[in-house]
Amino acid sequence: MCFKWVAAEGELRVDPATRAVDASSARRKISDYDRNTIEAARVAAGSIGSELVGLTFGGPDARTGIKDALARGVDRAVHVVADEGARADGHVTAHVLAAQVRRLEDVDLVLCTEGASDTYAHETGPRLGELLGWPVVTNVRELTVEGRTLRAVRVLGADLETVECDLPALVTVVPEVAPAPIPGLRSVLGAAKKPSEQVPVADLGLPAGAVTARTTVTSFLGYVAARRRVVLADGAAQDKVDALVAGLAQDGVLR
Amino acid sequence: MTGIYVFSEDPRLAAELATTAAALADEVHVVCLGADASRTLTATGATSVVVLEAAGAPRPEAYVAALAGLMRDRGADLLLVGATVTGWEVGARVAALLDSALVSEASVITALPDGAWQAERVMYAGGAVQTETWSGPGVVTVAPGRAVAAAVPGSASPVEVVAVDVDTRVRVVSRTARVRSGVDLASAARVVCVGMGLAEPGDLALAGDLADALDAEVACTRPVAEDRGLLPTERYIGISGAHVHPDLYVGLGVSGQVQHTVGFRDAKVVVGINTNPAAPLFAVCDYAVVGDAHEIVPLLAAAVRARH
Repeated sequence: MCFKWVAAEGELRVDPATRAVDASSARRKISDYDRNTIEAARVAAGSIGSELVGLTFGGPDARTGIKDALARGVDRAVHVVADEGARADGHVTAHVLAAQVRRLEDVDLVLCTEGASDTYAHETGPRLGELLGWPVVTNVRELTVEGRTLRAVRVLGADLETVECDLPALVTVVPEVAPAPIPGLRSVLGAAKKPSEQVPVADLGLPAGAVTARTTVTSFLGYVAARRRVVLADGAAQDKVDALVAGLAQDGVLR
Repeated sequence: MTGIYVFSEDPRLAAELATTAAALADEVHVVCLGADASRTLTATGATSVVVLEAAGAPRPEAYVAALAGLMRDRGADLLLVGATVTGWEVGARVAALLDSALVSEASVITALPDGAWQAERVMYAGGAVQTETWSGPGVVTVAPGRAVAAAVPGSASPVEVVAVDVDTRVRVVSRTARVRSGVDLASAARVVCVGMGLAEPGDLALAGDLADALDAEVACTRPVAEDRGLLPTERYIGISGAHVHPDLYVGLGVSGQVQHTVGFRDAKVVVGINTNPAAPLFAVCDYAVVGDAHEIVPLLAAAVRARH
């Protein structure tokens, strides 16, 4: 399964005047819904007696994420280490992940989350599946593997679509696919004994075109909500309620 | 410049994309699946309508390689794809086959004077806006409702039927409607949202009573539905859940993580009720009521009822 090490979106600082975003002090974490994906992948791997490999592509700091992924149930982890300062878009990420998946032997199934907390682009999974030349099944909330057949239930708007395909396959999942239990102390301690590997991106032998971003970011600005932020903090509860109801009535939003 | 190609498995969305494309290029080609779709799309004023035709009734995702092949053969600059579950997959896989740029759910697309393209998209669940540029072929997905469907009276675009091979490796076993409790949060005028600060089973009655007084729908944050199972998953608001556009959103014990707040970004008035004055929700509120929802909510319900 693939996971992403991202900045905690709630800790980005936005300068209200310039809208400049400062992510330097934001904690890093495994993208939220990747935690559900790890659990779904753990269950799927267990059902067919397979090893679960966690794979991530990111800067040197993603190393911390490896420990978290191992604690959450990944059997071993591979961290493809991005070059410092190089920007990766979906094109680069998919090429890197595809190259690393090919280096692992006998991969039957790759799970990605439908979107990451930072980009939520629905991009890496389907791109990766296409580069591997595998069947792609997206937006999955239930999956089972029997023999060499994958069966998955996709959420398609108001409908649920059940599909089947042969392995190997690439599946993207939504968080409903599994809960994301917080690892216990034993799992956290056990993670230190599990194997992990760091692979410099240069070792993958990819051509320059595959590791050069197709897009250039020319601007990245924080979103500042244009809300009034009337704070009702003081006085008795009834006074706050009266002030609120008067305000809402004036806004014309009460029936 | 060979014009813009647009694709959606949903003909109404394809017609919207034709409007978006017409503002960017003189030549717009609409790609669709099936003769029925082509009949409505010939009235969009598009330069041409291309029907991809295959035996049987393949799923739209089966046409990915055919669509990429068409882009390559015709030297297309830009492919706009309707951002549905199917469209996200189709767009990304076509981009992989073309080895091209992809911008997912772009809000603004601009043709730059030097022949390059620029698009804006939101990041961090709406916390930031990123502008990206690229030159050469590209794929951009566009959400429904971004443009009015193109309808040019009297227009009858030429239709070209192209027989293609499809990928049948993924087989549809069944398709059923989701079991729903009939709630339609997206069209609710008022929403009362339960967060983890008010997520004991007994608290739901409190939220329900306020919703009754306000004539509002009860919604929740993702953990309330997914982790606690207190409300059905279709009632959670957020990036992977419902997106609402009410006149009034009232968050009870909602901390305000951006994955949640992006889901009600278009609400006219936002109220937060939370004991924690530092709750992130208060930064995106019109009214921030600092206090215990257990105490505030019954008083609020009574005050609203007193106005009736």
